[in-house]
Amino acid sequence: MTPHSPGADQIDTLLWIGFVAAVILVVAVNAALFYAVRRFRSERGAAPRQLLSGRKLQFRVGAVLTIFAALLFILGVVFTDKAREAPSTGEAGLASAKTEPLGIKATGQQWLWRYDYPNGAFSYYKLVVPVDTAVELELLSTDVVHTWNVNDLAPKADAVPGKSHKIVFSTEDEGVYEGDSSTLSGQAYAAMRTAVEVVSPEEYENFVKTQQSEIEAAQERVVGLIENGEVP
Amino acid sequence: MSPRPNPELVVDGYPKKRPRWIELATSADHKDVGQILICGALGFLFIAAVELVLMRLQLLVPENTFLSPVGFNRMLSLYGATSIFFFALPLTLGLFYYVAPLQIGARGTALPRLGQIGAALWVAGATILYAGFLFTPSEAGVNPLAPLTELAFLSNNGVDAWAASTGLATLGFVLLAVNLLATLRMMRAPGLAWRRMPIFAWAATVSSWLLIVIGPVLLAALTMLLIDRNYDGIFFADGSGGSPLLWQHLSWIFFTGTYMLLLIFAFGAIAEILSTFARKPLFNRTVTMASLAVIAVIGTLAWMQNMITAPIGIGWTYFAMLMSLALVVPFGLVIFNLIATIAGGTLRMRAPVLFAVGAIFAISIGLAAELEQSLVGAGWHLHNTTDATAATHFALVGGAVLGGFAALYYWFPKMTGRTMGELMARFSFWTIVIGLILVFVPLFLAGADEGQVVDAYKYFSGTGVTAYNVIATIGVFILFAGLLLTILNAIFSRTNGAPAGHDPWGGDTLEWFALSPPEPHNFDVLPDVRSPHPLRDIREAIGHRTRRADQAAARESQPVA
Repeated sequence: MTPHSPGADQIDTLLWIGFVAAVILVVAVNAALFYAVRRFRSERGAAPRQLLSGRKLQFRVGAVLTIFAALLFILGVVFTDKAREAPSTGEAGLASAKTEPLGIKATGQQWLWRYDYPNGAFSYYKLVVPVDTAVELELLSTDVVHTWNVNDLAPKADAVPGKSHKIVFSTEDEGVYEGDSSTLSGQAYAAMRTAVEVVSPEEYENFVKTQQSEIEAAQERVVGLIENGEVP
Repeated sequence: MSPRPNPELVVDGYPKKRPRWIELATSADHKDVGQILICGALGFLFIAAVELVLMRLQLLVPENTFLSPVGFNRMLSLYGATSIFFFALPLTLGLFYYVAPLQIGARGTALPRLGQIGAALWVAGATILYAGFLFTPSEAGVNPLAPLTELAFLSNNGVDAWAASTGLATLGFVLLAVNLLATLRMMRAPGLAWRRMPIFAWAATVSSWLLIVIGPVLLAALTMLLIDRNYDGIFFADGSGGSPLLWQHLSWIFFTGTYMLLLIFAFGAIAEILSTFARKPLFNRTVTMASLAVIAVIGTLAWMQNMITAPIGIGWTYFAMLMSLALVVPFGLVIFNLIATIAGGTLRMRAPVLFAVGAIFAISIGLAAELEQSLVGAGWHLHNTTDATAATHFALVGGAVLGGFAALYYWFPKMTGRTMGELMARFSFWTIVIGLILVFVPLFLAGADEGQVVDAYKYFSGTGVTAYNVIATIGVFILFAGLLLTILNAIFSRTNGAPAGHDPWGGDTLEWFALSPPEPHNFDVLPDVRSPHPLRDIREAIGHRTRRADQAAARESQPVA
């Protein structure tokens, strides 16, 4: 993962913290284990020491482990809280999202994602958002559980039918970020991908306007066809 | 005193000898039931491994069409059910059921027919799962999340078959656990207090408690699912009072508890093996026993760790993180005590030790990776990627396969009177370890770096995961070969292994006091239990007497000056 949002930065940091902690544990356990297995073979010919317990030693080991776990818990809470902090829209961002984040609905359905923008426009597969802007994505599902996952930008989150799940993220750099769904949702699950295109605020405004007018035009045409009797 | 009457003749002939398989199928003896479970589990291990190989073949190259999407999902569902309900749990329970009563010096079990019914239900469950091929197997995944399992989304009867099969198996496990617990509670040999309990029998106690708590939770969830599907229920449908998240809570309680159960089993077996082969008592018995119990409780309480991307409120995910991280302490203490048991000892590197050490290695990697995922923010990235698959497999292949095989190699002489081949064991061990690393280390990288999603029937070129998947698919064949070697070793050694005698390893616990294989009533006589290692006490007493007799003989034979 290459983080492209402040939230994803925090997640990346936490990943590194977790990775280092995991490596410390694996190395400590296995180094001790392999040393003990190599050193204390029956071939060395000594009688086994009949050691039963070492209460002080046990307390020390327990204390070290407790401190280790407590430290990780604190770091986990701190960085997770930072990652889910509501971001603010910057200077270069969308003007209308300065006071509160740009609200977009993402609806999962077997097997694609639909995005509804504030002005009534919508798009399938690709979400277009302005750069340097705070976005509040409301995840919904019309059928089964889907997981929305664009990990360069935002935390992974489930769209559960009948529940609304909001996540916030902000965007730093323009570009296209690939994403996917990561909960088994039926036959075409692997193909249920998505992308987020981060563009300048002007391009974003243009996009939602064009999208809105095209959708209206298409709807008018369909209504016209039905009225003329060309469509049963 | 009147002279004793002659014994009355109650039979006029020997009972008719019935074929072995009828004996086995109708017997309520814990050793026969245990053997059915263990043999069945090894068979299903083979089947699960075949399913894993097929799935990996589909994932060999991007956008492969070896399996259809539905075919892949069916394979995945079968693999999940087979590996958990028909390999891992029956292997652990079978070994507990066979060994634990022997370890506590019981001449049978408290409720033998209950255990027999449990095994029969398990067989019925297995039959239903694979009879599913006659119509349609489930295609909803390892833990099939509602509402995908609702009738509206999967209208064929695959999910019903899955629910019936896992439900019957779980009910069977609960019955076996009830019997085990009653036996371990009521039928211990004189002097065998809880604190002197062999660590493996203690692990059986903790695991039985755990199963009695978590088993009914899954049974309730499965019942709700079947009502939803067949009688217009709305338990897991959204709106009008149902909730899809309810299924996630209930099922994850069971699966997380099962995860802990398999590790508790593995640590129990490893502790027994290491202390026997290092000729040292287990270091800090009391703390180790307490830690296993704590793992069962805290580990199960961490079930929401599987739901950190679900809309459940950040506080609950922090609670799950707290429970997961708290597990560092009991797991750390157990592993520390196991290593401390080796230290200062005289370790004989036989097959059970090799597998036990390998199990600690694999479990440590799996648990450390789980630890990284339990940090909520990091989990948002790693959840449902192949990184999570790899972590689970390292821990559970470490627990159920390497730990299970260690136990199998250790107690096989007791069950059959013959030892398993040492050379084949070594080959099998190294193949499994190399295979495990080759399959799951690339999946760690693919999941953590590129976010390859779990359970997907294909991936796309240009996402940077092709090389990882090719290596993993090559590795799965090596892993498969390793598993097969131990299964074949068990089959051949049953008839052709080196005769073992009643105590081939110099064990400290009571099961080595019985014959190999034990008589139907297990023991003719039992020694008084005065410590956690009664057989060591006997050996020491014999040693003392022999020494004293030798000294006396030496004194007498000395020439008088």
